[in-house]
Amino acid sequence: MLVLTRKTGEGIIIGDDIKITVVELKGGGVRIGIDAPREMKIHRQEVFDRIKQENKEAIRWDIADLNELSTILDAGRRK
Amino acid sequence: MGHSGPQRVEHYSGCGEEKMMEKIQSRFGEIEYDPDNTLQFPEGLIGFEDLRNFIVMPNEKEGPLFWIQSVDDPQVAFILTDPTDFYYDYRVVPDEREREKLGIDETEDCLIVSVVSVSSERKITLNLAAPILFAPETNRALQVILEGTNFSSQTPLPIL
Repeated sequence: MLVLTRKTGEGIIIGDDIKITVVELKGGGVRIGIDAPREMKIHRQEVFDRIKQENKEAIRWDIADLNELSTILDAGRRK
Repeated sequence: MGHSGPQRVEHYSGCGEEKMMEKIQSRFGEIEYDPDNTLQFPEGLIGFEDLRNFIVMPNEKEGPLFWIQSVDDPQVAFILTDPTDFYYDYRVVPDEREREKLGIDETEDCLIVSVVSVSSERKITLNLAAPILFAPETNRALQVILEGTNFSSQTPLPIL
């Protein structure tokens, strides 16, 4: 991994169209500004990882689960 | 036989029109589907970026749930539902960039569906933090991560 030292207001250029700027250092956190093409997806790492994990868990089901779930929902509706 | 990939079979529909159907072996058994009528995820789902084509499967039982089966990976299928059936105030509006990916303009419909999870403790949750945008016009879908939302990726499914 490339590690660079930057001060507030300084930036990094990645490729032709990505610019990252250190906006502010506050209370142990860093505020980062990102200029990138609109079609580029940008997410906080932990949020992305959580969704990935959720999707991996969501494929663990079987038809019995689906049937049971449908029955529960149906019973709820009829009340 | 050494077959790899989907197998093409001839299928005659009721009106006598010939249609090429394909078959896949899923973990739920053999599924026959119309390759011209698959749901396309141009970016896959998060963590499943390579899986671009899904078959929409109706639920045998009545109700708000349905499921999608990956054409390319027999192990991958998701239960989906309309989250607004359960959370009436849940709204996701696609931005211009997302509409572009879905191939629709502002006048065309974009529906929202959510992934349903059944945990090993039998807890049933909806992923409201990463909804799927679905454009019926183009049969394309996109899973997006909502930034700065209070909606959780493990929102309990309220039993009505």
